[in-house]
Amino acid sequence: MTTLERVERVRRTLRSAAIGAAVLRGVATALALLLLAATVDAFVAIPAGARRIVPLLAAAAAIVVFARRWRRSGVRSDAASAALWIEARFPSLRYALVTAVDPRYEGRVPEIEHAAAQVEFEPAVTKAVRRALTGPVVGVAVFALLLLLLPSGAVARVIAPAAGDALSRARAGSRVNPLAAIVVRVSPPAYAGLRDESLDNPASVRALVGSSITIEGVAGDGQVVATQGTEAAAPGDVHTSSVTSGDRWHLALVMPATPTAVRLRAASHERLLLLEPAPDSAPVVLLTLPARDSILRTAAGQIRLAATASDDYGLASGAFELIVSSGSGENFTFKSRTLGAVTFRSRTGELAATLSLDSIGLQPGDMLHLRAVVRDRNNVSGPGVGTSDTRTLRIARSDEYDSVAVDPAPPPEAEKNALSQRMLLMMAQALEKKRTKISRAQLVSESRVIAVDQTRLRKRVGEIVFTRLGENSGEEGDAADKRLDQPVNADSVLAAADRLANAPAGTALEGNEDETPLIATNRPLLEAYNAMWSASGELEVGEPGKAIPFMKKALDALQAARSAEQIFLRGKTRAVVVDIDRVRLQGKDKGSASARTPRRPADPARDQRIARFDAALALVRTTPSAAVDSLLLLRLDLLDRDAGAARAIETAANALRSGQDATNALIRARRALAAVPSAPSALTAWGSPP
Amino acid sequence: MSDFIFCTVQYDSGDWDSAPLVPANLIDSIARYTSISVAPTGVTVPLGSTELFKYPLAYLTGHLPVRFSELERRNLREYCDRGGMLFVDDHNHDIDGVFHKSAVEEITRAVGSLKELPNTHALYSAFFKFDDGPPATTHELNGWGDNLVHKHLLAVMRGDRIAVLYSSKDYSSEWGYHPDNKRFLSVDNTKFGVNIVVYALTG
Repeated sequence: MTTLERVERVRRTLRSAAIGAAVLRGVATALALLLLAATVDAFVAIPAGARRIVPLLAAAAAIVVFARRWRRSGVRSDAASAALWIEARFPSLRYALVTAVDPRYEGRVPEIEHAAAQVEFEPAVTKAVRRALTGPVVGVAVFALLLLLLPSGAVARVIAPAAGDALSRARAGSRVNPLAAIVVRVSPPAYAGLRDESLDNPASVRALVGSSITIEGVAGDGQVVATQGTEAAAPGDVHTSSVTSGDRWHLALVMPATPTAVRLRAASHERLLLLEPAPDSAPVVLLTLPARDSILRTAAGQIRLAATASDDYGLASGAFELIVSSGSGENFTFKSRTLGAVTFRSRTGELAATLSLDSIGLQPGDMLHLRAVVRDRNNVSGPGVGTSDTRTLRIARSDEYDSVAVDPAPPPEAEKNALSQRMLLMMAQALEKKRTKISRAQLVSESRVIAVDQTRLRKRVGEIVFTRLGENSGEEGDAADKRLDQPVNADSVLAAADRLANAPAGTALEGNEDETPLIATNRPLLEAYNAMWSASGELEVGEPGKAIPFMKKALDALQAARSAEQIFLRGKTRAVVVDIDRVRLQGKDKGSASARTPRRPADPARDQRIARFDAALALVRTTPSAAVDSLLLLRLDLLDRDAGAARAIETAANALRSGQDATNALIRARRALAAVPSAPSALTAWGSPP
Repeated sequence: MSDFIFCTVQYDSGDWDSAPLVPANLIDSIARYTSISVAPTGVTVPLGSTELFKYPLAYLTGHLPVRFSELERRNLREYCDRGGMLFVDDHNHDIDGVFHKSAVEEITRAVGSLKELPNTHALYSAFFKFDDGPPATTHELNGWGDNLVHKHLLAVMRGDRIAVLYSSKDYSSEWGYHPDNKRFLSVDNTKFGVNIVVYALTG
């Protein structure tokens, strides 16, 4: 073996040892972290969320340690490094190895080969490798051994945390409270397609009706008996005893249809668990075709039926339901049938069918009622049945033809005034554009249509102006057919406005010197009015091109009026004289203009619940478990009355049970209990307080 | 003992009467919370008048620039020296506004420079207790004016007594409503005004 081959072999050995040591150190670090977490968890329960992070932290720490050691071992990545490592330990080589692995002298200096052959450095390498690996191996072994010595449940809680592993910390024994730690496993009904769920120490269990619920705990002081019902001695309660296998007890229940409290008892120990049934909603069905009720003249032809349906857990089947009612007065007969039955396998679905009216044999006067009916897959407490709106098709009698006919209605009043000046301008421009393509008669005809609308808009503007000027709107009607400046010109109108405003001429506040603010505000509208007058005149004689400038001017004036400065007059505030005696409640009551109504009496049930809450609060310091039970029973009562308060109380109870600071949660719960505002069912009339 | 009379200062420049309902509102609060004998209406006194010296507390507000005449300046200085307290409120709530700039300048010329009043000052516990200093106004919280919530009031001191209390918080808007409408508030926002009055009478 040449010197170069020997050095290369040493390099590989050292490199493998470095990798091995880095891996072992990483593993040791991970094991140490897991050991630390498992030990802490054995004394103080670490929350499941935190435990889920521990394995990730351990893996990350192992990778970091490995990477650092790997980087530090990089010095022996080539033969020269290995040669130097050997030379450092064998100075007698006098750099013979370094020279031997140098490509420039490789095989050219026999003396070097000879000198290197005299030194046995392999045993030193073996010793160094052993020394490098011993520490990490011992570390891994020690940590692994300690982990093995811990109870298997404790390690599993850290390595593979899962919901329902609360019992793995508990120890069985005759003096142990078997209700101290419980795990509830919920198996929803098969139709729901939901996964099983495990809950650690829950205060309440929410699941679908019919879900099988298994309560599990560690065997201890006495047999566990469950009593279903809010009051312990209530008749009809269901008592269930636990079954003990090994060091665990099990108790099987079924989620009832109504919220129920389960009181668990074992010797002198007691614990409350709320069973809260989750609703399985009925399918939601929407009949899309036919879209509306109709009256048909003849019972012939085909009608398309369509509907959509959805459900929270799954649809089972659906069909269209038809009911035909025949007869009149007090003699009616009914017959029903279904159509387009379909089976579903999902949460949403569609129904479609075609109804042949001929096949039903409808007679004049008959009514056909249509709806879609869908059932869900609930085979425990259901099935839930969802129905769509009902559409009614009536076959008209021969003597009621008129009632079937629908006369076109005039457009609504609001739409009559929809045409704005801008629209009129656009219409006039469009008409002017096609002027060369149409006959003169048609031009005049269309132009007059626009003129009518222009006149109508002018009258509306005139109404505004005259109302502002203090005239009756009826007077505008006389002036509507007259141009205001001819013979009643704009200046005369402004002067009239001036007089009406009782403002002396020449006392201008803004604008032109001879204008009062009233005139200044109305001037744009007057300009628009006059421009509209001119425009409608041109339009009347079929000259839209000549009308357009006036229409533009009117539009600009209207815009100016819109953006005109608004003046808000501020009057002198009346001096307020404070009635000191009244403020100090020492004066006489002088009566009130508004009606006084007595306050509604307080809700006695709510007061009672608040009293129960306060009583539970009083127990918090002395017997927290009793306080939690009281809160849970209160929550049970609130589930169908005040869901918000029930949620708040559950949060508070959970916080109390887990030993956390429940102050804020209790405050929120108290607030939710006490301060639910009651809204009147409808708005009341002005002046009569509810 | 004569009644306490709320005094609003009238100055030649600006809109001194921009908050006409504040006096009645504070008079109502004084009657409501304290046993101080208070006149049912306030008075308006020119800043340049020696009538001002009859009133221990004077209220000055406005939106527009403030320019005191020499007489007004001299009178205000004497008023403060005699133990009076001037409460100035910027109705604009804007430290970059014209009222603030001009009023601060005039006060500085007439009485002395304004300094931040510590939030532990006796003013804040003269009647009601305000642990966090001057109460914020809705105008501050709505981001109007300078968009600032002013943490401190400013003051010109005469010894350990406040001679001029200056607010950029726009209490004039906050308190500018008819006292009969106070019943619609869940928390009466004029309580700090009571503190100002009580401090002026006892400080």
